[in-house]
Amino acid sequence: MNLLLSLPPKDQFFQTLWYLINTYSSFFIRGILITLLLSIVGTMGGFLLSLVLTMLRTQTIDYKRDSRIKRWMIKIGHIFADSYITVFRGTPMIVQAMIFYYGISPLRLFWWTPLVAGLFVVTLNTTAYIAEVIRSGINGIDKGQMEAARSLGFSRGRSLVLIIYPQAIKNSLPAIGNEFIVNLKDTAVLSVIGVFDLFRATQSATSSNFRVVEGFFIAAIIYLIMTYFTSMLVKKLEQKMDQSKELSHA
Amino acid sequence: MPNIILDIQNIHKRFGEQMVLNGIHLEVHQSEVLSIIGSSGSGKTTLLRCLNLLNEPDDGHIYFMGSDLMDPKTDLDQLRMHMGMVFQSFNLFNHLSTIENVMLAPIKLLKLSKDEARELATKQLTKVGMQEFIHYKVSQLSGGQKQRVAIARALAMNPKVMLFDEPTSALDPEMVGEVLFVIKTLAQEGMTMVIVTHEMAFAKEVSDTIVFMDQGVICEKGSPEVIFNHPKEKRTQAFLKRYIHI
Repeated sequence: MNLLLSLPPKDQFFQTLWYLINTYSSFFIRGILITLLLSIVGTMGGFLLSLVLTMLRTQTIDYKRDSRIKRWMIKIGHIFADSYITVFRGTPMIVQAMIFYYGISPLRLFWWTPLVAGLFVVTLNTTAYIAEVIRSGINGIDKGQMEAARSLGFSRGRSLVLIIYPQAIKNSLPAIGNEFIVNLKDTAVLSVIGVFDLFRATQSATSSNFRVVEGFFIAAIIYLIMTYFTSMLVKKLEQKMDQSKELSHA
Repeated sequence: MPNIILDIQNIHKRFGEQMVLNGIHLEVHQSEVLSIIGSSGSGKTTLLRCLNLLNEPDDGHIYFMGSDLMDPKTDLDQLRMHMGMVFQSFNLFNHLSTIENVMLAPIKLLKLSKDEARELATKQLTKVGMQEFIHYKVSQLSGGQKQRVAIARALAMNPKVMLFDEPTSALDPEMVGEVLFVIKTLAQEGMTMVIVTHEMAFAKEVSDTIVFMDQGVICEKGSPEVIFNHPKEKRTQAFLKRYIHI
């Protein structure tokens, strides 16, 4: 059926949209799926890895009780986590993608495809951002929570895991949702290493007919739909959490 | 004399330049109810928080059932399990329900099964009159209810001593009574307690010993009768006079 459509003249904007959608639907669908995959894996993986960074960063040194080795391990953990976050937040993801993809490609690992590299980079990048989100979530927890846990006999580590992290993560969920929205849009830069995301798919769809504006108009609408619905969900979540907060001040 | 539960020897605590505790000596005996009174900034809350090392004294010794809390080799977490603490701002765990607040430490620290912990928690919540609210969220409770749950949470660990840090100061006046009632009940059962409070009538009624603190030292110590009716120290007299007139 697609073959029946022929390329409309240049001034026929809407016919061109229709033509592109029909002719290249498989491109767009594949692009959408890859963009969603990158965003979902990046946000979920970034969340999990950010917990590791959070654990490293929230260790504190007890100068009276910790052994010298423990103090050094804690310090090294701090330095690692802080440098990781500085580097990944301080450089563009497009640059990170170039370095990782072309840096690891010479090893000739059969599984090191653009998509795998893209998933890898977006995950590492998101890790740094979500770690900052969770950090501010932890800062927002009243210090009485930790004191109550310690007074019952929980160690500092167990107090963090049982009392502080769960509350900080819950409070951070809307901000983590926003990271997902950012990822939906920003994974477009991964097309630079050849990931067939929505951006790259649109490029491919317009490469032979040069209807770039119409093609990317379609891409914009698709991006907008994805981000709009996600942000609606995030807003719902925020409202739900505000309600429970209001109750607690009643 | 009955067994000494807490033996505080010459503790000092500085916050920056300011000397908050300047050489405190104090003993707390089995089943004694000891109330600490004094104006704000006298160091009474800091002293209480030093007793389970939420604030760490700069020097001195605190012996709890024979172990020196200030010794770096002491297992603090183990000892804290035997000291209940109740805070001015309740500090219930906001992500847990009422009963979960009470069950958490028995499950994780005493290794009770969920059923055992639920039974224990229900018993403690009944004791503080909160059995109707076991499935409420923390955010649905009033201040007085929160504080009673906080007391139940501490009691569930079967502590040797209970530390109360101004337990009614953050409450609306009409809720003070229900919390003081619970504390009184504990006193009658022979619980060893150290209470920092501004409720003078309550302190007088419930305590075996009153400690009046001023400027980081224990200014006067004695029975409620002596401190409230025949204080020897000028500073105690001045403090109580101000209190009665307010």
